[in-house]
Amino acid sequence: MMSLKGAADSLSDGIDEQWLQTKPISLWKTTLRRLLRRKTGIVGLILIGFMMTMAIGAPAFAPYDPEQVLIGKEKVRKREAPCIHLLGCPSERPQHLMGIDGNFRDQLSRVIYGARVSLSIGFTTVLFAFFGGTILGAIAAYWGGWLDNLIMRIMDVILGFPSLLLAIAIVAVLGPGIRNALFAISIVTLPAYARVMRASVLSIKEMDYVAASQALGASRLRILLTRIVPNALTPIVVLSTLGIASAILDAAGLSFLGLGAQPPTPEWGTMLGAERNQVFSAPHLVFFPGLAIMLTVLGFNLLGDGLRDALDPRLNH
Amino acid sequence: MKHSIFSPAIAGILATAFLAGPAGAFQGNSVAAKDCSYGGKIKSIEAVNAHTVRFSMCKPDPAFMAKAAFTPFGIQPEEYLNATGGGGDILEKPVGTGPWKLEKWARGDSIIMRRFDDYWGQAAPYGTLVIRWSDSGAGRLVELRAGTVDQITNISPDDFDSVKNDPSLTFIPVANPNTLYLAMTNTFKPFDDLRVRKAIAMGIDRARIVDNFFPGGSEVASHFTPCSITNACEGESWYEFDAGKAKAMLAEAGYPDGFKTKIFFRDVFRGYLPEPSIVAVEFQTQLRDNLGIDAEVVVMESGEFIDESTNGRLDGFYLLGWGADYPHVTNFLDFHFSSKNPQYGTPHPEIYKLLEEASSIGDAAVARPLYEDANNAIKAIVPMVPIAHGASASAALAGVKNAHFRPFGAPLFHRADPGKDTFVFMQNAEPISLYCTDETDGESLAACQQVVEPLLGYAIDSGAIEARLATDCSANADSTVWTCELRKGVKFHDGSSLDANDVVASWAAGIDAANPNHKGNTGAFEYYSYLWDGLMNAQ
Repeated sequence: MMSLKGAADSLSDGIDEQWLQTKPISLWKTTLRRLLRRKTGIVGLILIGFMMTMAIGAPAFAPYDPEQVLIGKEKVRKREAPCIHLLGCPSERPQHLMGIDGNFRDQLSRVIYGARVSLSIGFTTVLFAFFGGTILGAIAAYWGGWLDNLIMRIMDVILGFPSLLLAIAIVAVLGPGIRNALFAISIVTLPAYARVMRASVLSIKEMDYVAASQALGASRLRILLTRIVPNALTPIVVLSTLGIASAILDAAGLSFLGLGAQPPTPEWGTMLGAERNQVFSAPHLVFFPGLAIMLTVLGFNLLGDGLRDALDPRLNH
Repeated sequence: MKHSIFSPAIAGILATAFLAGPAGAFQGNSVAAKDCSYGGKIKSIEAVNAHTVRFSMCKPDPAFMAKAAFTPFGIQPEEYLNATGGGGDILEKPVGTGPWKLEKWARGDSIIMRRFDDYWGQAAPYGTLVIRWSDSGAGRLVELRAGTVDQITNISPDDFDSVKNDPSLTFIPVANPNTLYLAMTNTFKPFDDLRVRKAIAMGIDRARIVDNFFPGGSEVASHFTPCSITNACEGESWYEFDAGKAKAMLAEAGYPDGFKTKIFFRDVFRGYLPEPSIVAVEFQTQLRDNLGIDAEVVVMESGEFIDESTNGRLDGFYLLGWGADYPHVTNFLDFHFSSKNPQYGTPHPEIYKLLEEASSIGDAAVARPLYEDANNAIKAIVPMVPIAHGASASAALAGVKNAHFRPFGAPLFHRADPGKDTFVFMQNAEPISLYCTDETDGESLAACQQVVEPLLGYAIDSGAIEARLATDCSANADSTVWTCELRKGVKFHDGSSLDANDVVASWAAGIDAANPNHKGNTGAFEYYSYLWDGLMNAQ
């Protein structure tokens, strides 16, 4: 008959073995699994996936060169409504699923190529703001003192301006164009990232494992890069996903005002701006670029919401 | 008694009393050039008596009446000009004799005018005129359909049919002769090279632009001036489109692969340019496809664009046009190709000498060979490429009686009747200033016309000259002296009475560069300079 102590030992051994046999699951895998459990996240992923496929495969999907003027090449009218054979458009007429724009170009091809421009703007600006904001916020929080004050006061000044107005001012100084618009949007987005990163680092640097690293003699830079920043990234990742959406909107706004992408670049905001006067006579020319902007922004917002939920430990159960 | 407006130190100005008489008698002022060597047409303007003004010319000017009827030559009180010094307040608060008195200009929003009850003519049948603006053709039409405005300018070509078929609206065709041109400034490379300019003249398919981007009734420009104007289309027609020849010529000039440049324009709807941004992209496409020229499209603010382009400071192409101010070929040719106009760079004597000679000939048949040579010289030198003569239209609510749009000038709103106390007119853009002695912008002129009147005016339905502040203007045998008799009993909005010295002071502020009131908005006084071949005492 087994003694009480022996029974307890064998139970404890079993638990240890179970523990040892369980493979650790990475944070990102867990997050993805949680994200896929949420409908909003899935819809967001599908929308973004669709837009990215369009952007990458634009030459294959677009029936025409987005800058090709069809005068003399096809019998089309200026701002012709969509012609879809399946919906009764005569087969002798060339098919243009989203119609023809004011310069006799195929609207569908321009919308497809527009995904390239808009997504590039979204990703580039957020990438810049992500890295810039992370570095500035982390340095400010970890070093503190006058450096923290200097960095954060500059960020406060930038935050003091309405973001689109500041972007317009920057582009007005630098001159219109997609590159300057990118730069302007990155600058106005940066402070939000720096602030979030700073707050995150401030709370993490007080954790025991950071104190332990300090006690073991690790350098400040090493602690910052290996212990603090990786653990402080979660909120920044969520912010980035939502930030892409607002960057795309800002870029479309600047282009609509004629300050972003310049003709003949197929950019959704530029396309809206060029045909804004035809909202009643040719609504398809503002509807489709508008729809593309809406779906992309919706996709990133849904994904951002899903990610936030998936990364929130309080919502794990 | 009126005092002289002229400083004694100013050369070329006479401040002489012409009429000796008892104390209190009218003392007439004058402005005069030292002599005619300055190159301009006007030698002197004199107030002969309280109601007679005499214009002495250096050379005959048979188009004098047509020009004098134009808004920039409007009359304001001498005292007001002196008080403002021709700048400041006068830019926003003109004082005229017109049927409408300015009440308020709310910048960025509207201009409100009240009926002038002491108007010498038939006063408006309603009390308030509001001028608003929107650069969006769709926006203007939406406002008209909503009934928030009573008349709009420039309906979009795509909306012509819907307006015609709408029983609540009146479609009003605008018969204003106009020209759209693609300009270049010959002081910038590579436009200093005639071969480049010629290549561009041949490399633009103008018929494609007119057929696809202009409303029906528009024409490809065979000459700079629309052919409805006498002597406009003498001489050879413009170059035929030939992309191959154009490309070869560009290669010969050293640009086989084209070059990089810009196309500047303002996004303001005009009869000669209904959809500026769309047409600009079409030019960009044609320049790229036909000539390999990589042109960036650049939109500029309207006032800045006019200032930069007309002063010859744009280093690329620019899209500009002209709507006729008065029905004479000089309005197109003399303005654009005069010796004083830098908008295409250095002016060409091969053109302006012929124009100066032609403009002093009263008989159109006698002047014809000179205009033929001038048009041929324009074609040979290519200061710009004439593109189109555009058709345009205005629209009003069906309930507005006598809604109209004059071929020359803005509507005479006091002759329309909206059937209520306020008439709201919506145009393309906000005026730049309301001192139109120094404005060329159509929106500014449209608002000025309601307040300030010139000596003569244009009819409501044609280019016929009508009496306004002058009851009559007559010339001597060789058209070198014009004498205008002023209407008696005309009151300004400030309550003062019109006399000949007001006419002299108003003209002197524009034509005499040394006049203390020669300030204006930009100080260019382009119409005075270009239509009268230069300013007195200009440096």
